[in-house]
Amino acid sequence: MISYCIETENLSYKFSGNEPVLKNINLQVPQGSIYGFLGPNGAGKTTTLRLLLGLLKKQQGEIKIFNKEFDANRISILKNVGSLIESPSLYSHLTATENLEVLQKIYRCPETRIKEALEIVGLSQTGNKKAGQFSLGMKQRLSIAISILHNPSLLILDEPTNGLDPNGIIEIRELLKKLNSEYKTTIVISSHLLAEIEKLVTHIGVINKGNILFQGTLDELRWKQMHNSVIYFDTSDNEKAKEIISSNDIRILSSKEWITIPLVEKKAIAMLNQKLVEEGIEVYQISTSQKDLESIFMDFINT
Amino acid sequence: MQFIYSFQSEWLKKKRNLASWLVVVGGFFTPIIIIIYSLVYSSKLYAASVSPNFWIRLWNNSWESMSIFLLPMGVILATSLITQIEFRNNTWKQLHTLPQNMTTIFFAKLAVIIVMMIQFFILFNIGVYLSGVIPVLLIKGVPYPKASIPYFAFLKENMLYFIDCLPIIALQYLISLQFKNFLVPLGVGIALWILSVAVFRWQYGYIIPYTYCGLHFLHNMDKLHFHVPIHFLAFGYFVLFTIIGYILYITKKEKG
Repeated sequence: MISYCIETENLSYKFSGNEPVLKNINLQVPQGSIYGFLGPNGAGKTTTLRLLLGLLKKQQGEIKIFNKEFDANRISILKNVGSLIESPSLYSHLTATENLEVLQKIYRCPETRIKEALEIVGLSQTGNKKAGQFSLGMKQRLSIAISILHNPSLLILDEPTNGLDPNGIIEIRELLKKLNSEYKTTIVISSHLLAEIEKLVTHIGVINKGNILFQGTLDELRWKQMHNSVIYFDTSDNEKAKEIISSNDIRILSSKEWITIPLVEKKAIAMLNQKLVEEGIEVYQISTSQKDLESIFMDFINT
Repeated sequence: MQFIYSFQSEWLKKKRNLASWLVVVGGFFTPIIIIIYSLVYSSKLYAASVSPNFWIRLWNNSWESMSIFLLPMGVILATSLITQIEFRNNTWKQLHTLPQNMTTIFFAKLAVIIVMMIQFFILFNIGVYLSGVIPVLLIKGVPYPKASIPYFAFLKENMLYFIDCLPIIALQYLISLQFKNFLVPLGVGIALWILSVAVFRWQYGYIIPYTYCGLHFLHNMDKLHFHVPIHFLAFGYFVLFTIIGYILYITKKEKG
């Protein structure tokens, strides 16, 4: 049985007087996974994450983290959670070390962790420079250092690569992978770009207009991708070609201008082509339409 | 124990903050003015230093501007600045996802402001002493004040002034926690301070919670007489505003 680090049940939320921004969200984040929480801007990602961290008062539904009900176990849960919600939360008049000291006092983790966390994100050489003088990328790194300071077993990161250059994005990705593989840290990372987190995540949840549209492993999403791919045949006699294809137990999806069939193996395509030619049908074109993950994601949010 | 850790964390945040400087500058501002005045009008210093009322007169002179203007304004500014740290840095959300309860956060922040006020009182007292000693050391022929320092009377006065400024701390804290815009607590504070100055001589002026430092000073100077226990009122207002502020804070729907 899968053990879930985060589990929500019928989580709904609406800001006063407005339409619900979350509708019966049933989130299931497996222990040890890197869960990509995807959706366009305004889909409800940040609201969900803020509810998970207790920054918004829960209105309806249940939230369980580490198998414990959140409201009743808030402090013990938060001891093991690191977070970064939207823009960096830093004390601009303090240095990087001082920013971490502020939190170290609360977490009661060893002081050596401050240096370690800064080294991990590459900010150990910032000295007396105040956080307010940092570039956006440096601020983002410091925010990540803050979130990992106490070695949490769950990291909740809301668009953590915002403002980072491509190099920075790759570095953060590698860092998160390392945390996940070496320390078994469960990571929930939200983004509005699938391409950005595709190389990182093991699981994906797609949210749009407050509804979860897909939730599962990356492989399940890839299977969906395969399932949605088709092959087109353009021939001199589509009617006859259709009969030949059907006689080989292949389902015809459409035959208006082109004959469309589901994705089959390469050998089967070659076999069909050979049979059509043998029957005197000229084959002008065989093409595949293989949907990439991005277009599947777009299909989700456009339906 | 968690409260102590939270307090330590909050204390770190005020480093390099204007409020920290305000405590130091505010504590020594009036004493420095008095030192300059004593040096400029040095001919009057001899008579003053041999007076048996030297320290009491110096104390009253020091509190004149402090009680009516500098202390209330300093409290308004410092309280608003300390609370503003979280709004300005967008750190409420970070603070509220730390493993500490809302009650601890509320009282740790309030404790920082109160300890800063105690710091201010200590520095001001040191300043008052130095403003009495430095001019007589610098000007030849002026003896060290003969009068002994009335320590216990001054300690009592300190405590009463401290109690009198508590309602300002509590109300400014309450307002500052509710509004992101720094101008709101500042504007409300200044408006209430102006009102309090305007109602000093009104028979019911004591109902305005920002009047007590000034009323206490005017009472000491025999310029105003009233039969209302203003220090109890001040403490009562402090408790009331703290409770209201606490309830409003812990029942916030959005915590960052």
